[in-house]
Amino acid sequence: MKSEELRVKSNEWEIGGKTLKSRMLIGSALYPSPANMEEAIKESQAQIVTVALRRQSAGEGGGNNFWDIIKELNINVLPNTAGCHSAKEAITTAQMAREVFGTNWIKLEVIGDQYNLQPDPYETLKAAEVLIKDGFEVFPYTTDDLVVAKRLADVGCKILMPWGSPIGSGQGLMNPSNLKAIRKQFPELKLIVDAGIGKPSDAVEAMQLGYDGILLNSAIALAQDPVKMAQAFKYAIIAGRLGYEAGTMQKREFATPSTPTVGTPFWHQFT
Amino acid sequence: MIKVSVNGEIKEIEENLNVKQLIEALEYKTKGFAVAINTTFVPIAKYEQTIINNGDTIDILAPVQGG
Repeated sequence: MKSEELRVKSNEWEIGGKTLKSRMLIGSALYPSPANMEEAIKESQAQIVTVALRRQSAGEGGGNNFWDIIKELNINVLPNTAGCHSAKEAITTAQMAREVFGTNWIKLEVIGDQYNLQPDPYETLKAAEVLIKDGFEVFPYTTDDLVVAKRLADVGCKILMPWGSPIGSGQGLMNPSNLKAIRKQFPELKLIVDAGIGKPSDAVEAMQLGYDGILLNSAIALAQDPVKMAQAFKYAIIAGRLGYEAGTMQKREFATPSTPTVGTPFWHQFT
Repeated sequence: MIKVSVNGEIKEIEENLNVKQLIEALEYKTKGFAVAINTTFVPIAKYEQTIINNGDTIDILAPVQGG
């Protein structure tokens, strides 16, 4: 099926001062090849791609081949602070990213535990406060803790990115009720489920909770066919959003026939 | 000569080099990287006025894939 064969109405939305159509934020890591990454990102129609910074050796050109591919895609770049374990490291990485990538957007990621890569709420909060004052648009990766979300909002975050489950685990939404509570408490914030998405139905579930978008990487890059999976997630995110906007029916305790009962032939009537 | 750490490797460089001179001395040929000294960001505008000291830890970072 070609992309254009399925025409869906997908409303524009706004995040970080940009108006976008796609609600997918796609990662650029772990693909079988750079060409596969490029094709998957194109197929996803995502308008935001996450990138990172790492040490560059002299003379080798570093990650510039990668960066050339990303630049060619002509979509918004969201640098991350992956690998940082303190506010100080994250702030420095964000400042370096702003210079290299030419954007004030930063996916703030401060890891507090190496086992499950759980974000450190205290260091994340400290870094968020400094970065917002320094003019950054902070996309903080956080847990699904409501109070942490509140504190991040208090220091000026307009976007929150609670996890579905640990990074790269593919476990989906561990705690939908916590995610739901954050959505309910912060209707004005842009909420993105970041991390833990494993399959398209996880994205549908998150979007049906009223989340504004999904950030994912491993679920696409580690699929048997990343390009096809990129397409699957594109439609899943649209389906989940449309489902949320349309408003789902109330669950009922008992069966109710959908076909009219008036005029039912006699042989179908119960006595 | 002084000893500094560049991206985790110990290197001997001349004294009183600024960041611009250090980058040239290390033969970084490509653009599109950013520099931090002792975990503090050094913007391009401050390369010439920032002198490298003995024992400094220098990180030179460039774009890579990320999630």
